[in-house]
Amino acid sequence: MPPAYLKRQRRAGLLFVLPAVIYFGGVFLVPLLESVIGSFYRTVPGGATQFVGTRLYVKVLTDPTFWQAVGNTVSLLVMSVPVTVVLALAVALGLHRLRSLKARSAWAAMYFLPFSVSLVAAALVWQWIYDPVYGVLNHALAALGVPPLKWLQSLDLVRPSLALVNVWARLGFDTMIFLAALQAIPAEYYEAAAIDGAGAWRALRRITLPLLNPQIVMVAILELIFNFKVFDTVYATTQGGPAGASQTVIMLLYDTAFKYFRLGDASVMAVFVFGSLLLVTLLQWRLFRRQVEY
Amino acid sequence: MAALPAPGRVLKPARLGWLTAALVAAGALCVVFPLFWMAVTSLKTVPEIQRLPLHVFPARWSNLDNYREVFQRQPFGRFLLNSALVASVAALSSAVVSSLAGYGFAKFRFPGHAVLFFGIIGILMVPFQSVVVPLYLWINRLGLLDTYPGILAPDLVSVFGVFLMRQAIEVVPSDYVDAARIDGAGELGIFCRVILPAVKPAIATLVIVKFMWTWNELFWPLVVVNSPTMKVVTLGLVSFTNMYFIEYNLVTAAAVVSVLPILAVFLAGQKWIVRGVVMSGLKG
Repeated sequence: MPPAYLKRQRRAGLLFVLPAVIYFGGVFLVPLLESVIGSFYRTVPGGATQFVGTRLYVKVLTDPTFWQAVGNTVSLLVMSVPVTVVLALAVALGLHRLRSLKARSAWAAMYFLPFSVSLVAAALVWQWIYDPVYGVLNHALAALGVPPLKWLQSLDLVRPSLALVNVWARLGFDTMIFLAALQAIPAEYYEAAAIDGAGAWRALRRITLPLLNPQIVMVAILELIFNFKVFDTVYATTQGGPAGASQTVIMLLYDTAFKYFRLGDASVMAVFVFGSLLLVTLLQWRLFRRQVEY
Repeated sequence: MAALPAPGRVLKPARLGWLTAALVAAGALCVVFPLFWMAVTSLKTVPEIQRLPLHVFPARWSNLDNYREVFQRQPFGRFLLNSALVASVAALSSAVVSSLAGYGFAKFRFPGHAVLFFGIIGILMVPFQSVVVPLYLWINRLGLLDTYPGILAPDLVSVFGVFLMRQAIEVVPSDYVDAARIDGAGELGIFCRVILPAVKPAIATLVIVKFMWTWNELFWPLVVVNSPTMKVVTLGLVSFTNMYFIEYNLVTAAAVVSVLPILAVFLAGQKWIVRGVVMSGLKG
């Protein structure tokens, strides 16, 4: 091909991607760098900034409130991510077994419905369901003879209760990913396995799960990221309470930045969130890729 | 037909089939229940929601007092308009910029191609909250706090969109592009007349999903919006809880108002949304 043509092609390609590159650079890359730089500066009264080295890191990373928030975030993660992934897998397998395609897509649509609902609306409706006095959940439990529980007001229950809201909100999305992957597995594999005398359980372990591995890894990572960043459900319901028991890192970051205007401290948290998410995601990706080989 | 399975083997999955169907149905009802509960509560009066024993259905299905109250207490119509405007602009700009970039990444090779593409995909790793403070300071410096451009600033393009459009445009045969080029069409002309018509479904997916996401967003609007007239619907919803006693009949009515438009979009475009999810899932 003539060099002039190639040169024009290169320029055209660059021009096509330029708006997106500039936008992402300006809205994500530059602010990310500013966050890192900002974590070394303290805002003094009057609005000026002062370089303080790693002092803010020491301050935030030795603050028990911060570590409580980290602990809460991790405990929310540990409760909701595995449950969401396993439940979604189970639902997808169940839906996939339904013979009638019409029934399958109708039930799937019901599972998918919460995907369209904002987390704020979801959280508020769940708060109403969880209401200790008039909530339908405690009514239902009373019918079974269980005394009323303070779902969002007790130190022990608040995190599982919030985790359940996140599971509810995310289940449909993950189910759709798994269901699509299941439908892409050729039926011949199962027929061959049946001829070889493999039962349903063996077929699941030897065919379905290995073939679904990429989706399982991806969904687990997506859920991890989602649950790490979760803010709306907590903000709309407990605001981190009771006594900080549902305070997440993101809630703390929000309060630090926009309630107390300690922007330097908030930047340290922003760097922490970015760093740990990157680390955990890369780790999870490597671990899963190797381990899940059935 | 030697390969025909033994009768016992056929019977067992069939019996399991009923159990599976029952479990799937029970699970689906559990998933839908909160939405159902939201709808019925929004039609009840305060004495009704506090009545013992609990009544599932409202006494009067035509009781719209809660909805009237929601619109009287807060400019909820304005909130809906703000959300619709912000979400529409975000969806459209996202579609335009993402298709341009998707075409560039899918059909051209240029220096820095891989670095730029993976750089953009890598942004998925950057939680929005990591950039929110500098972004807020920029918006403040530019005097855009409490304005539509301020609310829209981080929502104009999404990484998902660029990825989706690249995937979609990649499978458009390059012969079409080359044929148009030989016919003397300009690059922008090829983009508009060859590429865009071929990837209409992907564009529909992107527009619908992006509209939904922007409509449902809380964090950034919470940061940039101060005045009641600039609130989007999620902020309006939260404002019903900033009281000592939460009136759930009103909260659920407000929630229904905020969810209904998006539910309509969702149901109308479900086919495309599933496509998008599948696409991001299978090729992720």
